[in-house]
Amino acid sequence: MASADSISELSSPSPPPVTGLLVIVPAMLPENLEVLLNNLAVVFPGEGLLVATESPAPALVPAGLRIVAAPPWGSGWSLTAADFLHAWGLAQEHQARAILLLGPGADSLGAGALRLLANGVLAGSVDLAVPRYVLPPHAGMINSAILYPLTRALFATRVRFPAAIDLGLSPRMPQQLAAAAQRTAGDPEAMLWPVNEAAVAGFAIEEFDVGARALPQPADADINPILARVTGSLFADIEMKAAYWQRARRVPPARRAPAEAPRVDGAADVTRMVESFHFAYSNLLEIWSLVLPPYSLLGLKHLSQMSALEFRMPDSLWARIVYDFLVAYRLRTINRGHLLGALIPLYLGWVAGHINLTVAGTSAEAHIEAVAAAFEADKPYLVSRWRWPDRFNA
Amino acid sequence: MISLLATMLQQDRPLMPYPPYTENVSILRQMSDALHMSLNRVLSLLIGVLPGILAFFVALAVFALIGKVISAFLRWILTLCKFDARMARAGTGADWTPSNSPTALTARITFWVFVLLGLVIGVSAFDTSYAVGSALSFSLLPYVTHSVGAILLLIGGTLVARFLARSVLIGAVNAQLQYARFLSLGVKWLVLVLTAAMALEHLDIGGSIVELAFGILFGGIVLTLALAVGLGSRQLVSRSLESHVERSDRAPEPPSPPTPPTETIRHF
Repeated sequence: MASADSISELSSPSPPPVTGLLVIVPAMLPENLEVLLNNLAVVFPGEGLLVATESPAPALVPAGLRIVAAPPWGSGWSLTAADFLHAWGLAQEHQARAILLLGPGADSLGAGALRLLANGVLAGSVDLAVPRYVLPPHAGMINSAILYPLTRALFATRVRFPAAIDLGLSPRMPQQLAAAAQRTAGDPEAMLWPVNEAAVAGFAIEEFDVGARALPQPADADINPILARVTGSLFADIEMKAAYWQRARRVPPARRAPAEAPRVDGAADVTRMVESFHFAYSNLLEIWSLVLPPYSLLGLKHLSQMSALEFRMPDSLWARIVYDFLVAYRLRTINRGHLLGALIPLYLGWVAGHINLTVAGTSAEAHIEAVAAAFEADKPYLVSRWRWPDRFNA
Repeated sequence: MISLLATMLQQDRPLMPYPPYTENVSILRQMSDALHMSLNRVLSLLIGVLPGILAFFVALAVFALIGKVISAFLRWILTLCKFDARMARAGTGADWTPSNSPTALTARITFWVFVLLGLVIGVSAFDTSYAVGSALSFSLLPYVTHSVGAILLLIGGTLVARFLARSVLIGAVNAQLQYARFLSLGVKWLVLVLTAAMALEHLDIGGSIVELAFGILFGGIVLTLALAVGLGSRQLVSRSLESHVERSDRAPEPPSPPTPPTETIRHF
């Protein structure tokens, strides 16, 4: 039933056999690794699965699995350029037909989720298999507010988690991602956007419902560096792919919405976020006015007069704000660090409004879809500002 | 009476036959001569300096023109080479980015380097021409050269002050510091005062008075900021100290009534 392949045996100089599926697993605790390996063995019985991990192989490896040593990687809360280069290296070394790239905490993924992600790329019909997680309420807020709506509006894809940390990759997808990673050679910790890369390359993208998953969180809970890093990276990627997204593209029709996570009793601290927005409005208006047009500033003025309970940020206003910040990022209207710092209170305002809506009974997913639709509807505004920014300064 | 006055006015000779004062004429002549000499001296000085002034403006105009041409050429070449995209890929400028693209910045720097070069060469030409053309000495020329440095200092200082003020303001607002604006203003004025003192020092204006005034102003701003931050955080510090003392002195308190759980917000 179980075999105990040693790593030294597997690192022999003989040419590696062609591998069906290569699973790349980050470092994890032995008991977690054991759970994950068991799940893989259940899903792919007797298929000669190759698992690359930096963790020491457990004493009992389920039958049908081969463990190979891999250098340290993927210990963070997001996939980086170095991770994709690493995946490309392993895929080449083992001549894998498909790659399953798993992030930290992948043992919380069910066996069915692993099968779904792998099968799409193994069949050859999909180049990038992306998971759709079911997260707890009020989790993944940056994704819901900025990453998903922007990716959907500009790259015409309904992938709900563009920054997912578990991916199924066809052989040509890691190559594409490695090329993108080499462009950011100056910063191996730079984030990459596989969905954007696949869309630009014309590769097939498919999303799979994988259910709940424990997502790793940044060590520092401070929102400032997280938002600056994630949003800045996406803005830079969008700037680089401007020639692609400026063309009009039809977003694929909506799929069946997955079941939402059950609500948790208790209220989030909306008051503090609204206070943060009010405080920023009284101090940062001068900086915001360098980035936002008068219409948006008027909208913010109305928001500054709302109490915490009635606070709602209109979807169209939020879409305009993000687009204006994106244009300012491109034009370098102000220092980019300052720009992304000035976005934080506005983002907190959006989160407060979103929570208020969900507390009032609106479905969180419905609201996020409405926000994404507002981004789609306002895309011509972004394209116009991108092409003729001075026209709006008059 | 009127006829008498009219008769007197029609007379060619003076009414009072005073004897001529011969020395009066020599004073007037001397004054006139002095004025003429002074005028000649100033005119000759101006004539001596004029080629220098003309050389200054010609050098400035020529170098500005050359700078414009080279900057346009550079902009064209860099755009062809996709310099901006390469810089973005290299990841440079992530921490500090100017308000323009790298291409525009390079072109602009090139232009201003040429303008500066023209300025230096013009001033040098002016200096040479002036030294040859006149034996007079006045201290205008050193100020022309020093003022260039002082202006650059002022421009750099203003940019740094604005950058730091914004950094502090945004950081303090995101950290929810109630005195964010005050802190930002304080930092801005600290840098501006420092810049002004450096510029005046560079121009040799004021001497020790500037140093003294700078010391007083700088110290005053720092003290004001320290007081403001200290007073603003007084309650925070006292609460922190009290809780520390209470924790170490008091017996453990009975558990407080359960509060409703608060949902955690995960941003990522």
